[in-house]
Amino acid sequence: MKKVLFSLLMMVSFSLLSMASEPVAAVDSAVEVSAHTAAKTDTPQKSTYREENYQPMSFNEMMINFYHTTGISALIEPKKGVLTSHGEPMSDFHQTWGRLIMFLVTFVLFYLAIAKGFEPLLLLPIAFGGLLANVPIANMAGPDGLLGIIYHMGIANGLFPLLIFMGVGAMTDFGPLLANPRLALLGGAAQFGIFGTLVGAYALSQYTTIFDFTLQQSAAISIIGGADGPTSIFIASTLAPELLGAIAVASYSYMALVPIIQPPIMRALTTPEERKIRMRTLRHVTKLEKLLFPILVLMLIIFILPDAAPLVGAFALGNFFKETGVVDRLSDTMQHALINIVTIFLGLAVGSKLAAEQFLVVDTLAILGLGLLAFSAGTAAGVLMAKLMNVFSDEKINPLIGSAGVSAVPMAARVSQKEGMKDDPTNMLLMHAMGPNVAGVIGSAVAAGVMIALFK
Amino acid sequence: MFFESVKIMFLGMGTVFLFLTIMVYVTKLMSKLILRYFPEAPKVHASVSAPKAPVQQTNENAKIAAILGALQHHHQLEQEGKI
Repeated sequence: MKKVLFSLLMMVSFSLLSMASEPVAAVDSAVEVSAHTAAKTDTPQKSTYREENYQPMSFNEMMINFYHTTGISALIEPKKGVLTSHGEPMSDFHQTWGRLIMFLVTFVLFYLAIAKGFEPLLLLPIAFGGLLANVPIANMAGPDGLLGIIYHMGIANGLFPLLIFMGVGAMTDFGPLLANPRLALLGGAAQFGIFGTLVGAYALSQYTTIFDFTLQQSAAISIIGGADGPTSIFIASTLAPELLGAIAVASYSYMALVPIIQPPIMRALTTPEERKIRMRTLRHVTKLEKLLFPILVLMLIIFILPDAAPLVGAFALGNFFKETGVVDRLSDTMQHALINIVTIFLGLAVGSKLAAEQFLVVDTLAILGLGLLAFSAGTAAGVLMAKLMNVFSDEKINPLIGSAGVSAVPMAARVSQKEGMKDDPTNMLLMHAMGPNVAGVIGSAVAAGVMIALFK
Repeated sequence: MFFESVKIMFLGMGTVFLFLTIMVYVTKLMSKLILRYFPEAPKVHASVSAPKAPVQQTNENAKIAAILGALQHHHQLEQEGKI
């Protein structure tokens, strides 16, 4: 039996050798590869002998076969039948130049994160995930690859953003908001960035040919205006998973660019006198107030908008644990170990969506553009709301803190502080800006809840 | 179909503002009740904040915020001529 099989194998190998000696046949990679895989799939059922899985071949042939499994070959000559992580055929461009361009994109992201300090905690894992997702042949973003497994573990089902929210809740201090609750309205106004962009994106999709987003996709994109990375990812994975990579990257990039995007808008909309407004020192907030506040917010969500309960619930849980003061170990884990672990996974999984065939499409540019619009609109709406509130109230608000209504905590509040100090170096706005800032987190969670309620 | 998005905008902004307005009033009510019926004795506050110090230390923002708050308070006293 063994002898028969051996002679069979020899015959096959001889015929292959003769084929290899003909130059034309040797180059025809597709045929060779398919023949190779066919032999692989057939033999294991027949016998467990190792030799039978492997066909003896000439050294020349071996080198050629090996060459076809290298990245150089994959990047130079696109092959037919290469599938994306979604199982669709991949275009020649995305197999070759696309991957190379994405390598450069991830290198730029590395540079921004390391040298420029733009949200390195998220940008680095995302960029590295992007690098790995574009590795040819290994298919790491596919369902069985490292990135694919992580993606299905926590992004596809919306788990990771919620865990992040838990940690953010445990890190948030609602003191400034409790000391001056009406500033929460600024955090509401800034959500206009979301809904205004939804109208803009959908109108452009309907009436122009620049891009063509559905209502759901427009909604997912516009959430970037909330300046809240986890919320953006949560909504995108629910409403438009196909756009997740671009939305997450846009969202986190703009959060990192808060100190560059916001100041010109804030200055354009305010007068020097308004920027010099001093606000009354915040009162002391008792421990009991801080303890009851997360429960109060959660109860309101339960009664008004249960669809926002996953986000607000996780947030309230983290904050409540911190404020009770009796589970410091748990709240400490949420603030550090848990959020750090999830950040690594979240970043890598989002990075898997930076695969060339998904990222190098016209839609990505549109999303980056619309995201910037959403962010700017949110900033402007917050500032204008502060000015509007000044018309109706005697206790003046410095409009610079309005921009902190976008929820990028605490970056946006720091920008308010910095801009205020430009006109009056002794004017301390940071704590006042933290109020609208944390209200913005609640506001964007409510806005996200509305989207889920409408589109689920 | 375009007006669909406008409708969502009004509904969304309406919900956000409604929610936050209710939150503002309920929070004010809660604070009023707590400050009236459960005022915090200064001594209790000191003993409560002491064990929390190590957690606070790790939070850089809280530290900066505390410093800035103190600075502003100082500045106000200065302006009012108390120092």
